[in-house]
Amino acid sequence: MSALEPSAADKARILQARAKALAKEPQSEQLIEQSVEVLEFMLAYERYALDTSFVREVHPLKDITVLPGTPAYVAGIVNVRGQIVSVVDLKVFFDLPTRGLTDQNKVILLDDGEMVFGLLVDAVIGVQRLALQTIQSGPATLTGVRTNYLLGVTAQHTIILDALKILSDPNIVCA
Amino acid sequence: MKWSIGAKIGGGFGLGLLILLIVGTTAYTNTTQLVADLKWVSHSHRVLEKLEELLSNLKDAETGQRGFLITGEERYLQPYDVAVGRLDKSYQDALELTKDNLAQQRRLEALKGPLDARMALLKQIIELRRGAQGFDAARQLVLSDRGKTLMDDLRRMILDMEAEENTLLNERTEQSNRSVASALDTIVWGTVGAFVLLAIVGSLLTRNIARPLIDVSEIASRIAVGDINVRLAETQRTDEIGRLLHSFARMIATLREMVAAAQSIATGDLRARVAPQSDLDVLGIAFGTMVDNLRRTTAELSDAVNVLGVSSSQILASTTQVASGAAETGTAIAQTTTTVEEVKQTALLSSQKAKYVSDNAQKATQIGATGRRSVEASIAGIQRIQSQVEAIAESVVRMSEQSQAIGEIIATVNDLAEQSNLLAVNAAIEAAKAGEQGKGFAVVAQEVKSLAEQSKQATSQVRTILSDIQKATTAAVMATEQGSKAVEAGVLQSTEAGETIRQLVDSLTEAAQAASQISASSQQQLVGTDQVALAMENIKQASAQNVAGTRQTETAARNLHELGQKMKLLVVQYKV
Repeated sequence: MSALEPSAADKARILQARAKALAKEPQSEQLIEQSVEVLEFMLAYERYALDTSFVREVHPLKDITVLPGTPAYVAGIVNVRGQIVSVVDLKVFFDLPTRGLTDQNKVILLDDGEMVFGLLVDAVIGVQRLALQTIQSGPATLTGVRTNYLLGVTAQHTIILDALKILSDPNIVCA
Repeated sequence: MKWSIGAKIGGGFGLGLLILLIVGTTAYTNTTQLVADLKWVSHSHRVLEKLEELLSNLKDAETGQRGFLITGEERYLQPYDVAVGRLDKSYQDALELTKDNLAQQRRLEALKGPLDARMALLKQIIELRRGAQGFDAARQLVLSDRGKTLMDDLRRMILDMEAEENTLLNERTEQSNRSVASALDTIVWGTVGAFVLLAIVGSLLTRNIARPLIDVSEIASRIAVGDINVRLAETQRTDEIGRLLHSFARMIATLREMVAAAQSIATGDLRARVAPQSDLDVLGIAFGTMVDNLRRTTAELSDAVNVLGVSSSQILASTTQVASGAAETGTAIAQTTTTVEEVKQTALLSSQKAKYVSDNAQKATQIGATGRRSVEASIAGIQRIQSQVEAIAESVVRMSEQSQAIGEIIATVNDLAEQSNLLAVNAAIEAAKAGEQGKGFAVVAQEVKSLAEQSKQATSQVRTILSDIQKATTAAVMATEQGSKAVEAGVLQSTEAGETIRQLVDSLTEAAQAASQISASSQQQLVGTDQVALAMENIKQASAQNVAGTRQTETAARNLHELGQKMKLLVVQYKV
């Protein structure tokens, strides 16, 4: 078994590497500084999140007007304090199972200064601050259209969407 | 031996006749020959006689001449005269007799000359004697010896002829002797041969015909005394004996067949079949008919016996059943008698009880009237309960409506809490946009959010409680409704009970009347039962007699059955 057992030099080298790793300072300050504030919401039993910097406000879904001749993912238009805003159903867009509309449904208004439209979601959870370290790139199991709008996934299985990409997507904007 | 017996016998007789013919013919021929030979012998003797006669005549002539010569007396000349007269005739006879013999003829012709010369000389001498000279001249002439010479020649010639004739005679005698011997031989040997041949033929015929006939007759006599275990020799003969043996063999075979059939019939096997030898076989036909009849009779007998056996079994079974049935009947009747006695006692008891029941029924009628009044009172009580239950039901329904109103209020509060929550989220978003200056505001928004959630939880609890209250109210409504229905049912049932009790009272009245009637009937029943008990006693006695009779019948049936079985065993021995 001498071939499998490490030699004395190898042992010394491994121990040296371990000692160096233990001696490192934790980088907590950096983590706190590199964080982002997100708005969490539910879409068909899945948690999603968006960067709050592109969210103007959250509005309860009331008096939605369905428009004929629009793509299936356009749910309709709503009146928000005198402004007409089109609402996109992300569940249709992401090929997720749809449910009927209830008074729990909310509209998240996205605004980058040029474009304003609403996203129809099942429920709003709240605003949360996430460390960028905890965000991981999306897994390979996620397929379809969603991969194009994905920023990452947190340890709590929250899928973080790229609000800028949604706002600048010609598919949605043209609608 | 392809000859028939007739041919054989005819052949035997023919052979005998043939032999007889041959022997007869031969004997006839020999005798004829003998007769011819004897004729020739006699002929020779006659020739010799004639020759002797000739010589004698010649001598007589000479003797006469000599006497005359000596004496000169004419009377001595007489022999001469006679001899001269005969001599010619003798010569002619001899010539005639020897016609068949040329040598003798020639000798006779040769004799003629000297004879005539002698006779002439004799005449001359006689003439001379008579003449003048007489005796001397004649003597001279005699002394010339001419006469003696001639005479010697004549003697010699006749002797030659006689010798010749004697030779012939000897030959002919010899010939006749031979013929006689031949005839004797023919007769003797022919007879002997015929005897021997006929004896052989006769014995052969005897062997060939008589012996088989004797054998056959012996067999026939053995058959006549009934012994058919005889063996006939195998024969290839085709004659009458062969046919007789053949017929005998067939007869014996037929008899054996019949005997075998008869023996098998004797042992009980009736399956034997005897085919008649011909239309005229009276015995065979009668035997076959007998066997057929016997078989048919036995079959019918067997059937009858079977039927008899089955019937006797059935009779026995039936009789046994009847016997046991009779016994059971007897037992049952005994039991029935006892039972009737008990019934009698029971009837007595029931009569008493019926009277008791009648009394009780009267009391029950009165109790029923009391019960009826009580039921009417309870109906009135239940109707009061019904009105109170209805009041409770109205109160519960009102409470249910009010809890509905509370639910609406809770929904409003919940809506408010939701809106507060949204406001808190928007406030948080706004605070994030404000950056460092919005941090305090973010804390306030967080508080607002938690308050909204608490109020949401509170409304949720209130909703849960309210839901429980609503369920309880519903249950109360259902309960009061059921209670109301139960009370209604109670009212209905007490009404029905009242009706029932009224009917009961009526029934009790009727029952009381019926009980009185029952009491009277029971009395009558008691009397009737007494009569029944008496009748049952009579039946019991009759049944006992019945049982005894049935036992006897059963014994008789058993005997019949055993007889049937025996007959069956007897009949089974016959195989049809």
